[in-house]
Amino acid sequence: MSVLMGWKVSHFQALLLFAVAISLAFGFLSRRQPLERVKYIVWCLFLFLLVGVGIGWAMYPFSR
Amino acid sequence: MPEEASISDPPLQGSRSETVAFAIGAAGWILPGLGHALQKMWGRAIACFLIVGVLVIVGAGMRGNLFTSNGNDAFDSLGYLADLGAGSFYFLARSLETSGSDVSHAGGDYGTRFLATAGVLNLLAALHAYEAARGRKA
Repeated sequence: MSVLMGWKVSHFQALLLFAVAISLAFGFLSRRQPLERVKYIVWCLFLFLLVGVGIGWAMYPFSR
Repeated sequence: MPEEASISDPPLQGSRSETVAFAIGAAGWILPGLGHALQKMWGRAIACFLIVGVLVIVGAGMRGNLFTSNGNDAFDSLGYLADLGAGSFYFLARSLETSGSDVSHAGGDYGTRFLATAGVLNLLAALHAYEAARGRKA
């Protein structure tokens, strides 16, 4: 565990980890068939990343 | 009188199944994935256990803030409720964070969000297990 303590990740890595975890959970909880799950997980992941990066760029003019 | 008995049977059965469903939901809250495992939904059980576990370990590893019951304001209390949603994993996170939280950098702040997300996600999974046990389409 000491290896993990103080683990540093970039903003994008944190966003990616969050998006993957939540997309997997949504996919497994809301869909039954494996193919439907995969499609939903990929779709959720894409939207998480799109919206996350989009909001990041939208805040860019006010970042300084 | 037999008619009365037959009329009174379904509510008793219903209340019993409601109790079982509540127990399954509570089990799912205490140990992530257990609510689904008790209903033989193995894929969902493993997914919930692993996802909540990974979020808690990563959140604690990034030294996120794990709220306690003696918070200073409403946000601390809400954070405590969210963290407590992880059930037994809340105590796992506390045992992992031996050197306390450090939110002076972005990683610690992200860790706080990961810990809260793990809790809320587990509450969602427990609610899903409860609804599935009640016979609702899940």
